[in-house]
Amino acid sequence: MRCKQVASLVREWLTGRTRLALLLLAITPLNAAWSAPGVPASDAQVLAELPVGARHASMPARELSRSRLDIALPLAQFYLARSRASGDLRYLGYAESVLQPWVRHVPVPPEVLVLEATILQSRHAFDAALQQLDLALQAQPDNSQAWLTRATVLRVQGRYAEALAACGHLAAQADAAITDLCHHGVAGLSGHLRPAYAATLALPQQGLASEARAWRYSELGEMAERLGDDAAAEHWFTEGLQLAPEDFYMRAACADLLLRHGRAAETLQLLADYGSMEPMLLRIVLAHRLLGDRQGEQSRALLSDAFDVEQQRGEAVHRREQARFLLDVEQQPSAALVAAQENWRVQREPDDALILLRTAQAAHRPDAAAPALLFLQQQGLEDVRLEPYQRPVS
Amino acid sequence: MNTRAVLLASLALLLSPAAWAHVASNGFLVLQVHGQQLSGSIELAVRDVELAIGVDANRDGKVTWGELRAAEPQLMRYVAQHLSIGTPNSSCPIDFQSLQVNQRVDGNYAWLPFSAQCPQVVRQLNIRYSLMQDVDPSHRGLLTLVNGPVSQTGVLGGADAAALYSVDAPSRARAFVEYLQAGIWHIWSGIDHLLFLFSLLLPAVLLRNNARWEPVARARPAFLSILKVVTAFTLAHSITLSLAALDVVRLPSRLTESVIAASIVVAALNNIFPLVTENRARIAFAFGLLHGFGFASVLADMGLPHAARLICLLAFNLGIETGQLAVVLAVMPIVYALRTGVLYRRAIMPWGSAFIAAVALVWLVQRAFLPTG
Repeated sequence: MRCKQVASLVREWLTGRTRLALLLLAITPLNAAWSAPGVPASDAQVLAELPVGARHASMPARELSRSRLDIALPLAQFYLARSRASGDLRYLGYAESVLQPWVRHVPVPPEVLVLEATILQSRHAFDAALQQLDLALQAQPDNSQAWLTRATVLRVQGRYAEALAACGHLAAQADAAITDLCHHGVAGLSGHLRPAYAATLALPQQGLASEARAWRYSELGEMAERLGDDAAAEHWFTEGLQLAPEDFYMRAACADLLLRHGRAAETLQLLADYGSMEPMLLRIVLAHRLLGDRQGEQSRALLSDAFDVEQQRGEAVHRREQARFLLDVEQQPSAALVAAQENWRVQREPDDALILLRTAQAAHRPDAAAPALLFLQQQGLEDVRLEPYQRPVS
Repeated sequence: MNTRAVLLASLALLLSPAAWAHVASNGFLVLQVHGQQLSGSIELAVRDVELAIGVDANRDGKVTWGELRAAEPQLMRYVAQHLSIGTPNSSCPIDFQSLQVNQRVDGNYAWLPFSAQCPQVVRQLNIRYSLMQDVDPSHRGLLTLVNGPVSQTGVLGGADAAALYSVDAPSRARAFVEYLQAGIWHIWSGIDHLLFLFSLLLPAVLLRNNARWEPVARARPAFLSILKVVTAFTLAHSITLSLAALDVVRLPSRLTESVIAASIVVAALNNIFPLVTENRARIAFAFGLLHGFGFASVLADMGLPHAARLICLLAFNLGIETGQLAVVLAVMPIVYALRTGVLYRRAIMPWGSAFIAAVALVWLVQRAFLPTG
């Protein structure tokens, strides 16, 4: 192949003069030469590798799902699972298109409402997700998936009392372990961190489904981290990722832990195959910054473009990451604060409080930190990572 | 860390399309208004094209350029069904040109350039966009609407398939200022023109005597030498810029970009192994002609408003000269002050030129030999 030959020639030519070439690469505006449309050199050049479920061949199944709920539901569930496992946002759209004809039904089947809510939750449209769940629960008061999703959404929003109530409704139908995890997770955020950690630790491992075991590790890791026991947290995250390598919330949490200890090389190793997801890409860029090398530059540009496109679309799925990107990479504390404030309006996890407190401090705007401080105090949320920002200014 | 490893890694990033970010599905619609005429392009991810119309003919889970190209007529029909552009009371039929491929952060895109002819001068544009909506309702079309110096963006698709955009003719004064700024900015950000200028300016404060460089004694000859070089460069690129902008001459951009890189290599090498030492203004003129085509392609990207073509061309050219003059005025006193030192003749002049030549050589390789797309 011609382009491969040229590429290897260029590579040889450059490596022969490594130092000079490095300098040159550093200042060469590559994008100018690479971004223009063109005609590929060979018919055999592969332009796209199609992931599962993204082929035109799936259209007959989709067509069938318009009239058959027993096909529509598993198909939408499949797309949602793919989205969760790959971080690929397109699958949310595919799931949405499968559900679309059923959303127009009167009444909407409750299972459809729950899946709709899951899509909305994945897009961080939490209030809209709760509306769908309410409708689903009116029709099916004992739909455990609806209660669990409701508990998750309320927890992310920082509405812990309501989240605990939702966990309570689970008790009647679900596995006792799921109910316990739901309960301890929320209790750990609202003033009972130590007992919740102990109770989660004490949950019997035997008989737990592997999803529940992974969830337990993820909760343990996060609680240990908030307690300041990073060694334990790392242990739990590592165990959990072995069980559920595709759980990228846990992977991102583990990466943050490593980054906090300056372990950049290990972070890169952990995220090696995950550069296609924006939150992971952010951590990769941060690791490269810690190492002081220039390899993160390309990723930084990709990330910046991705945030721009998201902004133009009027979406804010990754506001927390964007705030962190603006603060730690672009070093624009004021812009970072705006993003962190918008994020705080939508979601209130400990990491959301952390980024708001950090950006407010960096932008010298103590007033902007007030909503987060008040929230932490009212809920009794404990997190050693937040403590430096909670001390009264002397 | 081993520098070799670092380099290999960054090259791998550069040459392989692996580092893609997952974003939601987006199409990119660019529209440029020229009076009654529209030109533009629509871009859809190759993966989205597969989902919508099915191009993976051998069903191996990979879409090759051959497969995509074979589906070109089908793709054009699909786009024509789901994208229409018009004024409020009539439509502007789209005429597609041939399919190309554009590489974006999240993968390869099918890039379809087109033109469209409206029955009257466009004041308002009605855009109906329903591409991908049936298979992925979260797909959006990101619109860039360019009218001379003014550009606006918009989001298409979703619940409302149709959207109306108004295309106000910019005032002449506004257009003048915009194009002037664009010219200045192009010189300051277009590092290749600056490097070319630098390689001509570096020896301007020196004289070649018995195969050695010696500093000029007085300011006047140095000043005159610079004036000649800059004037020749300006004159030359103004000529070709005007010819190209007014559509009298047109060269493929890959050719002009490559030759511009080559011109920098030649000019810089001439400082190390001098062949032409007397009349550098001639080099400046000859190569200035080429750089003019480079400027013209920038202008072509911006588009010239129908009503004020000449004014805008003039403003853009004035901007280029202003930007260039500012650089010359900033650099020359420094160069003049340094000229008598050994550092200047032994280090800055030869090594600076070698550095410029090396950078330009990389550009030359990239622009002339590496595949775009």
